[in-house]
Amino acid sequence: MATTTATISISSSDLMPGSPLNISASSTLMKTGITTGMELMEMGNAEIATDYEAQLFADGPATDNGAYWIYICNTTTDDDTRYIEYKLHETVIGRLYAGDWMFVPYNASDGDAEVEVKGLIGANKIEYAMFKTAWTLPAAES
Amino acid sequence: MATLIPTLTLSSADATTDLINFSVVDNLTITGKVIGLSRVVTSTGDLTLLASSSYSRSYVYLKNIDDSIAMDVDFGSTASFNIRPGEFAFFPWHASQNIVVAADSGTPILEYAIFEA
Repeated sequence: MATTTATISISSSDLMPGSPLNISASSTLMKTGITTGMELMEMGNAEIATDYEAQLFADGPATDNGAYWIYICNTTTDDDTRYIEYKLHETVIGRLYAGDWMFVPYNASDGDAEVEVKGLIGANKIEYAMFKTAWTLPAAES
Repeated sequence: MATLIPTLTLSSADATTDLINFSVVDNLTITGKVIGLSRVVTSTGDLTLLASSSYSRSYVYLKNIDDSIAMDVDFGSTASFNIRPGEFAFFPWHASQNIVVAADSGTPILEYAIFEA
């Protein structure tokens, strides 16, 4: 069992005058159930051409309704108007503009990956990771 | 206009034979509505936490502060997250679907905040 810790802080000195914002939270990434640390992960980076819709994490999580964590960051630096649109389960959730990131727990609900990103306004560079409860590599094609 | 600075750090000494230790920081411009850190009691019935009609592009923070009960977070009718006890999420939301929350059981408390770009 591995111990992987995610920590977030969200701060602002000027959001509410006289009341600086300081949110902090930490979580150990656990497999399905809440007692065993995650040991499996997939990380990478990619360039997403404009209007190209890509599926991250090919063939998807192997275990339905298992516990997973997804990290995606738009690492584009040369044009801050570019963004990627991301979908979970065929539903558009949001946009990651240059420099933006997201980190969410995720449950697959079926065996397809269903984590999709689409580049817009130009090519976007991203880095991504999925921490997984279980993972079976795609079967070799005969 | 205000600046919001979210930072994520992932670390592990034993997930791989090399250390995992990285941080990512963003600087977000916030010009719209803000709901500061708030808490709501959830139940097994669907609770519309954030209505898409009330927001434009925003950043959302969620944390399940219960120590034993998980909760589902759906976008419209699409099940997407299951936030287990103590877990959090931070993500940009395009406000095209309501964010709907339902507890797996009981009445766990969800902590949340939203920042409209």
